[in-house]
Amino acid sequence: MTDTTATISRGSHISRILVIARHTFTQLVRMKVFYFLAVFAVIAIGSNFFDLPQHEGPESVGVNVLRSIKSWSLGTMTLFSVVLSIVATALLLPKDIEDRTLYTILAKPVPRIDYLAGKLLGVLLLVFVSLALMDGLMTVVLQIRSSLVLEQQLAMAQSLGWPQEAINSLKLETAAQGPCWSLQGAVIAVFLRASVMASLALLISTFSSSTLFTTIISFLVYFIGHFQADMRNAYLQAGQAGEGIFARLVTLLISLVLPDFQNFNVIDAVIEGQTMPLLILGKLTLIALYYALFFTVASWFVFAEKEF
Amino acid sequence: MPEALAYRILCTLMADKIPAVEIINLTKDFKTSFRKQMLRAVDGVSIRIMPGEVYGLIGPNGSGKSTTMKALLGLVAPTSGTCSIFGKDSLKVDSRNDVGFLPENPYFYKHLSGSETLKFYGKLCGLKGKILEDRVSELLALVDLESARDRRLGGYSKGMLQRIGLAQALVQEPRLVILDEPTAGVDPIGSRQIRDLIFKLRERGITVFLCSHLLEQVQEVCDHVGIIFRGKMVKEGRLEDLIAIEDQTEFIIKDASPELVSNIKELVNQSTGASLVRTGKPRTTLERLFLRETTHRDEDL
Repeated sequence: MTDTTATISRGSHISRILVIARHTFTQLVRMKVFYFLAVFAVIAIGSNFFDLPQHEGPESVGVNVLRSIKSWSLGTMTLFSVVLSIVATALLLPKDIEDRTLYTILAKPVPRIDYLAGKLLGVLLLVFVSLALMDGLMTVVLQIRSSLVLEQQLAMAQSLGWPQEAINSLKLETAAQGPCWSLQGAVIAVFLRASVMASLALLISTFSSSTLFTTIISFLVYFIGHFQADMRNAYLQAGQAGEGIFARLVTLLISLVLPDFQNFNVIDAVIEGQTMPLLILGKLTLIALYYALFFTVASWFVFAEKEF
Repeated sequence: MPEALAYRILCTLMADKIPAVEIINLTKDFKTSFRKQMLRAVDGVSIRIMPGEVYGLIGPNGSGKSTTMKALLGLVAPTSGTCSIFGKDSLKVDSRNDVGFLPENPYFYKHLSGSETLKFYGKLCGLKGKILEDRVSELLALVDLESARDRRLGGYSKGMLQRIGLAQALVQEPRLVILDEPTAGVDPIGSRQIRDLIFKLRERGITVFLCSHLLEQVQEVCDHVGIIFRGKMVKEGRLEDLIAIEDQTEFIIKDASPELVSNIKELVNQSTGASLVRTGKPRTTLERLFLRETTHRDEDL
């Protein structure tokens, strides 16, 4: 009895959160969500065949197919991560309440914030592992295809008698379309966006009475997040209405509460072969961290007062 | 060293004086949807359970039993009144260090096996390593689920789920166990196993707060009962005191000859003021008959 009590007193917030996170991860894995990876593999391999004929010169040969692989892969990653983060988070809390498993957990010395943080971390862990696996597959496919494309380009350039400097430049340009650090940055951005959505779904599920309501509202906020910045700007530039302090405060409040997903449009630039500066990735990380923390703390305030 | 020993003895003595459960004037109102009328689920209930007691809270469905238990566990906040566990406010997380809870009709995580379930709850209580492994094995043996330790809960019967639920409630060796309708939906054999487990808890000195509307079961295991009706405590006290019929006396005699029975009846008739109410053979209960018959069938097979 004494030994057990001594061990109990060592239980910390972090260890409890990790226990719940690990359990949530296992729960979702055993719901067979990884079957989606098979669909992703088909899409990643299938995108190899979307090669539109555009052969003006050696520099254009096969570039479209590389863009197509990146575009399809990152699009699927976005779809999967957003759907998973919203649906899984929206499902877990009501299910625990309905099955009364939440009672057994909260009847243990588990603070409610530990429970919420653990659930969120578990979902994020699953999204992270899924994205890492998809990223690995995309990188392998892209590596193989970019090698083939480069061989084609070099053969064509040599047959046209290009100078060595031009060939070296061509090599660099094609490498930028293949697997690179900016592409990894784009995958991290996809994960950050999913993290924001998961924490938002967590907040909604703390006061919602159904999974369906949480899912619908979360997707609604996701879509609003893609054009709320445009709406704010249009409102502020629409003459007198946007000049008052009140209007500016309202728009500021909206931007603090509703995530602006236009910040994540840098992913499209990476697909086009542009470099993602580390500063932009740092800014995205800070923005995502702010929204994730804001929504989690708000969830805690609601959940702490919730009665079961 | 003697000072330390004296301090520990003092703490033990004091711990025995602190009630395991103390509910004082608990009132809980719920808002009803739209109409904004308040529904009073619990109305001024007070309960005091001392360490080692087995207390049964009985009452019809919707009388406020589960709400009282939830208030004690901090799952609902009292509208007024207080609840404490071993002197600690129920709304504080540390009050849950010493309590285990089995809710009514629980559905644990179906994707976990029996041992994984107990490990999960044990880890939440800060247990780890060999202590946790040993505790899980001990509990599985206690609830007779060793053979099903690696089977997922999705394949457990109702009785097995209740027993694994009881095991999770005991994982951190709590001094108080709260059981909400522990035998609801369980067959008589499973019900008997759970009852035997409650007896074992009592032998170990663990306080049990049991909530049920199965009166026979409560009568068998509890030494204190409270009757709650429409949110109010209408009767409370020691079971023996509450159910004794004070103006009657009972003898149960084995192998009594007809002459002896006749003599006793004669004596009663001769005495002034006393009258014979009933004689006959005591009957077993249908449950005991069922258990005896099914147990024999098991042995024959």
